[in-house]
Amino acid sequence: MTNGTEKSAAADASASAASRARTEFARLISYIVFGLGSVYLSLRAGELPTSRWEPLGAGSFPQLVFAVLAVLCLITAVRAIIDIRKAGRLDGLLEGLCGWLKVRRFSFALFGLLVVYLGVLPIAGFSLATFVFLLITQLMIAGISKKTVIQSVIAALIFSVGLNLLFAEVFNVFLPRGMLFAG
Amino acid sequence: MLDAFLAGAHQVFAFDTLIYMLIGSVAGIVAAAIPGFTVTMAIILTLPLTFTMGPLQGVSVMLSVYVGGYTGGLISAALLGIPGTPSSVATTFDAFPMARGGEPGRALSLGVWSSFFGTIISTIILIVAAPPLALIAVKLGPWEYFSLIVFALTIVASLVGNSLMRGLIAGVIGLGLATIGPDPMMGRPRLTFESDILMPGLPFLIVLIGIFAISQLMGEVEDHGKSDKKGALIPDVIEFKTWAVMREVLMHPVNLVRSSLIGVFIGALPGAGGSIANLLAYDQAKRSSKNPEEFGKGTPDGVIASEAGNSATAGGGLIPMIALGIPGSAVDAILMAALMVHGISVGPRLIMDNADLAYGMFVAMVVASLMMLVVCVLSMRLFLRVTDIPKQFIVPTVMICCVIGAFALNNRVTDLYLLGAIGLVGYGLKSLDYPLAPLVLGVILGPIAETNLRRGLMLSDGNFAAFVSNPIAATFLGLALAFVLWQLYSAVRPRSGAIAQALRT
Repeated sequence: MTNGTEKSAAADASASAASRARTEFARLISYIVFGLGSVYLSLRAGELPTSRWEPLGAGSFPQLVFAVLAVLCLITAVRAIIDIRKAGRLDGLLEGLCGWLKVRRFSFALFGLLVVYLGVLPIAGFSLATFVFLLITQLMIAGISKKTVIQSVIAALIFSVGLNLLFAEVFNVFLPRGMLFAG
Repeated sequence: MLDAFLAGAHQVFAFDTLIYMLIGSVAGIVAAAIPGFTVTMAIILTLPLTFTMGPLQGVSVMLSVYVGGYTGGLISAALLGIPGTPSSVATTFDAFPMARGGEPGRALSLGVWSSFFGTIISTIILIVAAPPLALIAVKLGPWEYFSLIVFALTIVASLVGNSLMRGLIAGVIGLGLATIGPDPMMGRPRLTFESDILMPGLPFLIVLIGIFAISQLMGEVEDHGKSDKKGALIPDVIEFKTWAVMREVLMHPVNLVRSSLIGVFIGALPGAGGSIANLLAYDQAKRSSKNPEEFGKGTPDGVIASEAGNSATAGGGLIPMIALGIPGSAVDAILMAALMVHGISVGPRLIMDNADLAYGMFVAMVVASLMMLVVCVLSMRLFLRVTDIPKQFIVPTVMICCVIGAFALNNRVTDLYLLGAIGLVGYGLKSLDYPLAPLVLGVILGPIAETNLRRGLMLSDGNFAAFVSNPIAATFLGLALAFVLWQLYSAVRPRSGAIAQALRT
């Protein structure tokens, strides 16, 4: 019994170490991306012409900022590598990524719908695009049933056509008009 | 002085003015409660409506929107974990965990009472000590300003999140994002890659909405259907005791007064406002607390510090505006514009030439904070209904409000593309445990830091030593450095042999 508990605890600790290593690996990638990006932007900022009227030109401040960012990313990346090596195991990366994406599938679906909505907005206009976006997202989150469809249609109408009218009539703020549909 | 007070009070207490102020108060609270709708936007929308009013009546209405807005930001901060305005970023640290822990009513009440007392304390200071405080604030030169910003960013980077290094990286990313677009001194385009979207720069409100709101909304639907009981954001039973919470706030007098004083001082500094004050007040409360480990887990001290701090900037911000004609924030600039529309010159002669107006504004501040309190106390149960609304309605509709808020700012559809991109970046950073507040603060303070750095160097003929030889600037920079070292030391101390631990965690 004790032996079984010890084995289970050891397995948990091992899984936890692997999970920490995977998280640190994901962060390491972010440090590398930010670091390389900041080196590139620092070089681009250095290409901006200097000023005759002041000691620092337009490019100096961004150059300084991105150089500091590159140094911070380098230090943190080195620490992350040491940490991953100390953890000793970095297995199950693909499974970890799949699990991460699975947990966040609704988040990415919501974002995808937002991207499509923003792309369609100048074409379809605020009211139509918003109505469709709200209807789809609400049904995606709540699931499709007679009750949710009715609720979602009402809410989508209020927050698309209703909001458009409110802003136009009360606040004199005119939300995007579409090329196909003026509302 | 007394005559001017009475004359001002007479105008403010006119029935129609009070009615307009009440509407303004409600509008400010509601607008700021919607993520993406800031106090600034609410006041901009109010400005045209005040053109037909008298100068004091118009400014009083705008002040009530202002005061209401500073409080309204806490509603979404506490209930949704999304700061309704930049001023309520620190409110999310404790009010949100408190609400999630089953006490949303207490979290809101703490915020409302702290805001009320913060506004009252700041108004008293505004009346009594405006001239000397304004003189101190205005004497700060570019070296002091730049150093203050470095100090503020360092504090914020180490204050929030689990890692000092990731906090610093986030803050510097924010500074970097702020350099995209026109150079703040000469207007030369930088790092725009000739893209129309990037040409005007990244408006900080777009970054704020994207980083906080869009990423938070995406996070709300993570693992949907597994952890959710009824689909409500805060499913627990609400217990709500207004007067008991008032006593609770008054039982923390030192925190309340200290946070209000920080708010007044920061508000009086042009360019610095509620967005810095709430974080600094929170930091001071945490460091002075006997139980600093409780901060971030729903401690009342955190809510009191943040809300008293940000609300007190309302009074503080009026100090340089009324005394010297220098607006302390965008909101103060709009208030100033409203007075100028009515032909009133705002500057040192305002108190001499239009004493009734200046003192009437002080009275209006007090009345506005009372109205905010009454509106919140009477209608907070309505705000709490937000907790009953299922995610299926609240997540998409708040997202639409964010889109509208981002669009209405400049009427640019391209800003919406930025919003989406920044939202995705924010979600990624949040998933990797980067603190988001330093990034947003970096974007807000970046142009101010750059302008002051370049001005300082112009004044010192390119000599960086001026930042060290100036005593105030040197103090701020020294404090920033000491703070980072102290944080590293604190992180290392508990476990031996690991500066690595400090850098890593």
